[in-house]
Amino acid sequence: MAALVGLRACFSALQLSSPSLLHSSFRLCAVPLSRRTFAAEAKKTYSREKPHVNIGTIGHVDHGKTTLTAAITKDDQSDESPSTASHVEYTTANRHYAHTDCPGHADYVKNMITGTAQMDGCILVVAGTDGQMPQTREHLLLARQIGVEHVVVFINKADAVEDKEMLELVEIEIRELLTEFGYDGENTPVITGSALCALENREPDLGVSAVMKLLETVDAYIPLPKRELDKPFLLPVEGVHSIPGRGTVVTGTLERGMIKKGDDCEFLGHSRSSKSVVTGIEMFHKSLDRREDVKRGMVMCKPGSIKPHQKVKAQVYILSKEEGGRHKPFVTNFMPVMFSLTWDMTCRISLPADKEMVMPGEDISLTLTLRQPMVLEKGQRFTLRDGSRTIGTGLVTEILTFTDEDQCNWG
Amino acid sequence: MSLTFLFRTVARDVVKVSLCQHVQSLHTGCQLLAADKALLMKLRKSTGYTFINCKKALEKFENDIAQAETWLHEQAQKEGWSKANKLEGRKAKEGLIGLFVGDKAAVMVEVNCETDFVARNEKFQQLVKDVAFATLTHHQNKAQSQAGYVKSVLAGEELSKLSVDEGASLADKVALTIGRLGENMSVKRAVTVGVPAEWHIGSYVHGGVSSQTEVAMGRYGALVVFQGGKEEERATLGRKLGQHVVGEAPLSLGNMDDLPCGESETRLLPQTFLGDPSRTVAQFLRGQQARVLDFVRFQCGESTGEE
Repeated sequence: MAALVGLRACFSALQLSSPSLLHSSFRLCAVPLSRRTFAAEAKKTYSREKPHVNIGTIGHVDHGKTTLTAAITKDDQSDESPSTASHVEYTTANRHYAHTDCPGHADYVKNMITGTAQMDGCILVVAGTDGQMPQTREHLLLARQIGVEHVVVFINKADAVEDKEMLELVEIEIRELLTEFGYDGENTPVITGSALCALENREPDLGVSAVMKLLETVDAYIPLPKRELDKPFLLPVEGVHSIPGRGTVVTGTLERGMIKKGDDCEFLGHSRSSKSVVTGIEMFHKSLDRREDVKRGMVMCKPGSIKPHQKVKAQVYILSKEEGGRHKPFVTNFMPVMFSLTWDMTCRISLPADKEMVMPGEDISLTLTLRQPMVLEKGQRFTLRDGSRTIGTGLVTEILTFTDEDQCNWG
Repeated sequence: MSLTFLFRTVARDVVKVSLCQHVQSLHTGCQLLAADKALLMKLRKSTGYTFINCKKALEKFENDIAQAETWLHEQAQKEGWSKANKLEGRKAKEGLIGLFVGDKAAVMVEVNCETDFVARNEKFQQLVKDVAFATLTHHQNKAQSQAGYVKSVLAGEELSKLSVDEGASLADKVALTIGRLGENMSVKRAVTVGVPAEWHIGSYVHGGVSSQTEVAMGRYGALVVFQGGKEEERATLGRKLGQHVVGEAPLSLGNMDDLPCGESETRLLPQTFLGDPSRTVAQFLRGQQARVLDFVRFQCGESTGEE
């Protein structure tokens, strides 16, 4: 025992004598000359044609999300960057970004449901000085919940950390946490820098170049969202007209996909369905044999591409009184009218077993049963109204099977 | 015991040596010599304090992890206070309502923080629990002499002075949590009620996020003091009444014979009952042969009259 302690003391002495101080001050020297070229390019090639991607920042309140956002928009040379606190836009050489920064969990969920600012990917901001906070777990849980698949980590405030190895430890730790939450922790890009330096034009290595590198990484790592054009066509029917000599013409705005003359099509909704052929298109007009088969609220689509459904699970945000919603809660079996595409239909709400009521301003996952099957797909958005008041908005998360029991409930 | 110590010492020193050699041979500007990496990771994992502080602690006590940990705890209290002072002015509107119903006594507290992320964190929830129990203990000490109905409302100042388990004040606890989570927090208010034997307390907490089971937590909470009701249905009755209070937010009790005045009714008894819209609360209570005597409703982040 004594021998071991002695040995230990010896090692400690060894440690103290090592020449560490001599080599600590090299970092400050390198100044990249080309640090502005990226931004200049961005200006030259700026156009709205670039693919659009939504990203956001999450992180602890004091870890510099706002500073980072400011630093990013500063580097973007386009004049069209409005900078409201929570929503900014900028472009890189390849893409156009909308950037969201929300204060709380509930705000992100609300944004996801209403679709005002979905996120295709996000930047997790962690200060190198503190490392991740206990609530970083809650941040990643949120990212999972709102379906963010790709996370890029920015270790901020690197200028305030003297010891490079500390930053490495912060990085190791955050990778572990990412893996724990089901992200690819090992391959997640981690950029180290200082948003403040970028903003104040100091230490370009940690400042401007780090922010540039972050943007390049976001460009490369966060994939483009799928384009709607590749999917089978869908046209919600807005109006139906009988035109002498032409048959029936339906009007509507094409939701997605492409229609050509001669295409087969199918009309679905209101418990009816019929097949037809597109005989002509006039800015999205279409003829049909019998008018009775079609009414507003149905959709015209590629035959077999979608089906009407009567029971779905959805994530719903209930508007608060200030937003024009109800001022009172509702309980299970509440029956509002559901509006989606061009249709509306009464539906019955069933709350999950552990919830007894829903207060205004809350988001909740619930089951909706429609009086008649209508076109509903996973990912489709809808509005709930009660009388003349909009009470909530939602996003279909799952299609459920309509059972006989549900049928009885409607009787 | 000594075996594990031996093993730890040896392992530690081996790591240290290899690290030193590595560093010396490469001549990188590594400054982490005094506190080795593996230990640092370990200390950070076990305590959750910042890397910088863990490193300082290890340097100070020459890698004695036990001493370092003790020092970190002491340091955390100090830093908590300085952080708390620094963040003092920042708005804390989020947070949780914590509610606990014991034997003929109940407590409801509101603790605020800045974001709902923190409100979802277990460390914050632990704080809410501490506040709830400290308040309850305070109530029990005070109320021993009194037999009747006791309701006391405590605001921020008085609450801070209460003590948690071994003497530390609630304010210390709050400061500690602020230090750990880095957000401004405050214990906003608390209410305790104690009832005589034949009265009952119903409660309901809404919007729960907590994994804690002892103290119910959420964004809204209500306590309802009532009499009567059937023995076996009392729990459900109390819960339903609490739910109504949370949902319809009545401001006053009203009388059993009051006539309802429409949608904007703010008196509890004439309000339409949430669980059965065909009746008023008074009618519902008659059916249950019960009587509501008092109620309290907390909504997280709502402005109270005192501010």
